[in-house]
Amino acid sequence: MSRFYLYGITRPREVPERLREQGIFLIDREGRAAVVSELDEGPVEATRRNLLAHADVVEQLHEESVVLPARFGYILESDDEVLELLALPEVEQLLERHERTCELTLKGTYEESVLAEVGAALNPLRDAYRAAPSVEAGIALGEAVGEGLAERRARDQALVLDKLRPLVLDVLTSEPAGEFAAFNAALLVERNGVEAVETHLEQLAARMSPPLHFKLVGPLPPYSFVRLQMPAVA
Amino acid sequence: MQRESSAGYITRAPRSSGLADVLEILLDRGLVIDAYVRVSLVGIELLTVDLRVVIASVDTYLRFAEAVNRLDLRQVDDSRSVPDLFEKGGEEIAETKTKGAVEGGMDAIKEKIGLGGGGGDDDDDEDDGNSRSRSRSRSGNR
Repeated sequence: MSRFYLYGITRPREVPERLREQGIFLIDREGRAAVVSELDEGPVEATRRNLLAHADVVEQLHEESVVLPARFGYILESDDEVLELLALPEVEQLLERHERTCELTLKGTYEESVLAEVGAALNPLRDAYRAAPSVEAGIALGEAVGEGLAERRARDQALVLDKLRPLVLDVLTSEPAGEFAAFNAALLVERNGVEAVETHLEQLAARMSPPLHFKLVGPLPPYSFVRLQMPAVA
Repeated sequence: MQRESSAGYITRAPRSSGLADVLEILLDRGLVIDAYVRVSLVGIELLTVDLRVVIASVDTYLRFAEAVNRLDLRQVDDSRSVPDLFEKGGEEIAETKTKGAVEGGMDAIKEKIGLGGGGGDDDDDEDDGNSRSRSRSRSGNR
């Protein structure tokens, strides 16, 4: 019996040759198709190569039409499991919802000069640290800087998302990673709405940079907007 | 598709171009199918937690304090006379620049799951050889 690694779900269609050569194929059922490759016994490891390969497959298929990308690491133990999955009404609903959508990931990062801006409001603490640079004074100042940075981050995130909200179908924010990270947002947009987001972002950069930098990745498949959580059916 | 931003503060990548771009979305997002088994992902849950570097360590606070102190001095320097600046110059050059914590975090994660390994592919995360991402530096555009 075959085992399959699941990349995502799409509509039945021709798989590009480059992907076919990597063993990627579709299993169809009633207008829905699972994007899979056959697996030998044994585990799939979360290596750099495997992660990037997964992203590459779903992103390439998404360039032409809808793909619901699977979270990394799903293995289906038989054809029956694949067909069962495709039969779920939620799958059809998601395919319809994302027929013409894509995801843009937006990250905001500060450069170090943000600390000077935040620190400008912290005069007594800063003077105390300068006069006597002890660990205690340093922690007191550093904590205040951390708080100031958190406020600044919340303000900037709200400002950016308020500005972009009219252009997007949905937004999902997540905790930013890193001391100088400002925000992380996944934006669900119409495929033909990407340019409008770019234009608005340039206007925002003109106002907010420096110290804020933006990184915009996409159009990607709607990774962040395909929640399909159900009780076990097996 | 790619356009220059006059300010140069936007990095634009049409597709995810490295592990840094995909790690979080592949492990934390995407279709979740509770009915099916997800195998061989030992350590992954921990890893996604580690992605969120929090600013709550003494070390970070002290670094912030020092940075505020230093950046502030630099502003003072701007208004000083030229001879003063020359005297002060050596110290500032000796100071090391704080590195972005995100990159540091990603390196730690890569080590953890045995990715990357050597220093040879350190750059891949932001700019793979075949990547279409373009990072525009400030200095180049001013």
